Amino acid sequence: MKIELIVSGCCPFCLEAEKVWRAAAADHGCEFSVMDISRAEGAALAQRLKLQTVPALLIDGTLRAVGVQTPEEALTLLQPQRQEAHDRMQQMGLGFSPDNRWFILAAQAYLMLAGLGLLMNGSFLSDDAARPAFLHLFTLGFMLFMIYGLASHMLPRFTGNPIREGAWSWLQMGLAHGGVIGYAVGYLAGWPTLIVVGAVLAWLSLAVFAYRVWPVLWPTAS
Amino acid sequence: MHKRNRLFVSIALVYGLLGGLIAIVRLIDPSLIPGNVPRAHGHIMLLGFILMMIYGIALHVLPRFGGFPLYSEPMADWQLYCANAGLPLMIAGWLGWRDMLVMAGGVLTYGAIVLFGLNMILTVRTKSRTLPVQ
Repeated sequence: MKIELIVSGCCPFCLEAEKVWRAAAADHGCEFSVMDISRAEGAALAQRLKLQTVPALLIDGTLRAVGVQTPEEALTLLQPQRQEAHDRMQQMGLGFSPDNRWFILAAQAYLMLAGLGLLMNGSFLSDDAARPAFLHLFTLGFMLFMIYGLASHMLPRFTGNPIREGAWSWLQMGLAHGGVIGYAVGYLAGWPTLIVVGAVLAWLSLAVFAYRVWPVLWPTAS
Repeated sequence: MHKRNRLFVSIALVYGLLGGLIAIVRLIDPSLIPGNVPRAHGHIMLLGFILMMIYGIALHVLPRFGGFPLYSEPMADWQLYCANAGLPLMIAGWLGWRDMLVMAGGVLTYGAIVLFGLNMILTVRTKSRTLPVQ
């Protein structure tokens, strides 16, 4: 948050305002600067804002008050900006974004579906024709979806670089679901074409994931 | 994030795409790629994609979560070299029906696994460095 105080060198109240706002800025970790209207930069700003009096207070470039404020009034003026900054921090926090939340939830559903192979075949890696279906429900459905959800969530936080979000992540999710379901149903129903379509869709989801994650890992190269 | 760990994750993505691609090619026409393709696919996905993804992320987070710095950076570097020398040899062995290559690759891959395991055991440890609150 940036606090700017426009003052005049011949104004006795400006010094008092500067003390209040310098202390408030220090308390709340805000950037603070003082501009004198006798200087060209300060005069231009005062003219642009059509200021009639000093001291004048700007918070993040917006005129918020004129005159001298008490420390309590300063706190009140800073409150909306502090709340906004806090909200932004929450969005950047540890909580999952909706797409990653769905990746993790879907992974658990596929894990339970894969586990049905244990009940139906007596073994996770059975020798019958349904083996690839349950095996890939586990590897593509559970493991890959877990990687999608966790890596998309953690890697931007580890590196400090943003990840491609929005339509890309939902496209990736759609392709992955289509891939896993197509592949598993194709094997269970004995439809080779659907197996190939499912495999291609799953591969495309991985390609989209790589496209999203690569700039997170190598920001300058991208 | 350390460059080596980013390399692990990046290489995992490449192996994932490669492993998926050879599986698709085999599904379309099994004769296009010679050798034991299902085994190569399985190991590319598990050792190349999943394990290297875990290597990259675990080498980054486990020291932080454990509260101690990584025990040995050179061990982790050699882990990267061994893992990425071993798996291609194993793949070449399966696709070329060369058991010696599979064996050599397996030894190197296992070397990477041991390096990772020991490094993590010596990093995470059983007791936290955090002192009890007085």
